[in-house]
Amino acid sequence: MRRFCVYGKGGIGKSTMVSNMAAALAENGSRVMVVGCDPKADSTRNLIGSRIPTILDAFREKGPGNMKLEDIVFVGFNSVYCAESGGPEPGVGCAGRGVITAAEMLDRLGAFDDLNLDVLIYDVLGDVVCGGFAMPLKNGLVDDVYIVTTCDSMSIYAANNICKGIKRFAVRGEVFLGGIIYNGRSSVDEPSIVDGFAERLGAQVVGRVPMSDLIPMSEIRHKTVIEYAPDSDTAEFFRNLGRSIVRNENKVVPEPLSDEELNEINREVEELFREKTLAGQAQ
Amino acid sequence: MDGGRFFGAFRAFSGITDAVVLSHAPVGCNWGTGIFNNFSNQPDIRHACTVVHEREIVFGGEEALKKALALADEIYDRSLLVVISGDVPSIIGDDVQAVIDSVSSDEDVLWLEAAGYSGSMRDGYEDALLKLGSLMKERGVVERSVNLIGFCPDDFKVHADIKEITRIMEDLGVKLNCTLSICSFEELRAAPAAELNVVLGQGTKLAQYMKKEFGVPYIEADYPYGLEGSIKFVDALCEKLDIKHDAENSLDLEPFKRAFLHLHEIYGTTVSIIGDFHCTPMANFLEGELGFEIEVQSYFDRDYHSFEEDVRKSCTMMLFGSSFERGLAKELGIPIMRFVYPIFDQICICDYAPYAGFRGAAFLTESIINAVMGFDHKLKNIV
Repeated sequence: MRRFCVYGKGGIGKSTMVSNMAAALAENGSRVMVVGCDPKADSTRNLIGSRIPTILDAFREKGPGNMKLEDIVFVGFNSVYCAESGGPEPGVGCAGRGVITAAEMLDRLGAFDDLNLDVLIYDVLGDVVCGGFAMPLKNGLVDDVYIVTTCDSMSIYAANNICKGIKRFAVRGEVFLGGIIYNGRSSVDEPSIVDGFAERLGAQVVGRVPMSDLIPMSEIRHKTVIEYAPDSDTAEFFRNLGRSIVRNENKVVPEPLSDEELNEINREVEELFREKTLAGQAQ
Repeated sequence: MDGGRFFGAFRAFSGITDAVVLSHAPVGCNWGTGIFNNFSNQPDIRHACTVVHEREIVFGGEEALKKALALADEIYDRSLLVVISGDVPSIIGDDVQAVIDSVSSDEDVLWLEAAGYSGSMRDGYEDALLKLGSLMKERGVVERSVNLIGFCPDDFKVHADIKEITRIMEDLGVKLNCTLSICSFEELRAAPAAELNVVLGQGTKLAQYMKKEFGVPYIEADYPYGLEGSIKFVDALCEKLDIKHDAENSLDLEPFKRAFLHLHEIYGTTVSIIGDFHCTPMANFLEGELGFEIEVQSYFDRDYHSFEEDVRKSCTMMLFGSSFERGLAKELGIPIMRFVYPIFDQICICDYAPYAGFRGAAFLTESIINAVMGFDHKLKNIV
């Protein structure tokens, strides 16, 4: 089974990548599962068409002894298996612990063994990096990690922090960085910024998501691009991205950037933003 | 080996004899604190627990606390309800005050955040006593009355020791006003009526608070082990309360005369000792009055591993400490004398056989000699 997880700052497009890759990989009959590890529990919405009950909902309502696999795993578009960890309401409890509990419940109920999966993808919120959200990095749950980022400084900052977490576990041989996924949907769309960031990390950029109206259009309908516009170039991009990641063997221990190095990237972005603004004014 | 802030808070609060302690913590914390308290006082079950589990960790423990508060209120006829918030609720940030406010407008519900990792057992004890201090009410001063501060209900020999110290004070014409924290809620509230606070090892923060709030002065004294220790205690009390008394007159040497040959035999015994604030005065008794030689002396808030290693390297022939040291004593094949919390492999149900005070010196000496005489398996090995 090929197991990987996708991290990134909140709202950066992780769920878009994950749901589209899952739908694409399942097209040829592969058994694919997506596990959303975000308290807002919308990672699999585009695969199912609506929100699904979360693992922690079932845990709270039925208790760990009375839960069944069918209470927490649902089948979506292209027969992709979908599960959402869920989490507590904002301001109470421990969402990180919730991720750990959800992963343990899936394992205990045989989701990873009994479903004969070919591909398992975790979609993990990367802003909060307590031990719970680092769960997929630990204990050999996945083979490698992919980080989604734009050119925005906070997105790169979050990606760099995730790399610090990966490095911590990579030195124990538990997980590696498979690469960076560039999302061009930000104030400045300049792939070279993220190329430079990846180079400094010692990593590759495995895909560059094109700007496409098809993505928001399909998401408004709670669908993947694979389902909404299967013959489009954007759908083909996600098919290629999924294949690249499944086949990727270039896995590294990242070398996170220092604050000064991050500042250098910020200055480059600022310069590009200034140029863009001036160009806009000139028009 | 320090039990941490949670244990200290529990020990202080559970000493209010008509209070109920609700541990907002996993069941293991409740069992750990409760078992030591109940070991020599089995009917005294006045503690409850929210039994924080996985569900509460993820979704917060506020609902469980709310239910437990209501249930404790229903089950127990109590004067005071105390909530101790342990490690897990502190980490996940349960709003304990808001929960208490939502179910009770009474002032008789106290709570303390006491995550074990956030301080020592001493810290927990001191802060819990301060919380209890906030319930005290100004009273007219009763002359020649004192509060004893520093006790816990699960200290070994505690009731016998208090009885002996009270007897000694009564011989001086001094009345015991309140023992903290082994007293009723009403006795607690009336604590400011004392003319003097006597801090025995711990509880200094409360004494400072009572001095500031109620004008009650305080002295700090060692726990009165041995004849010398007891004389020092009496002298300190008499000096502060301006009482003319010759403590030497209180000495009863007859029990020691009856065992003078045994005392001669054990003179010079090499021993090691570990404990909390009871350790130093006990070591002084062993060294100064029985003539023992202290090989290693340590305290629970220091590196326990080093203590064990140092004892192994020493010529220790007898160990003084808690039940936790019995493994080391067994390993070394030497007798152990338990005198300090926690003691969970011996019971203490008589309140007329103290270790403290003048009479305690005799009981203590008797116990030490018996521990040595009763320890025969090492002798068998030698043979």
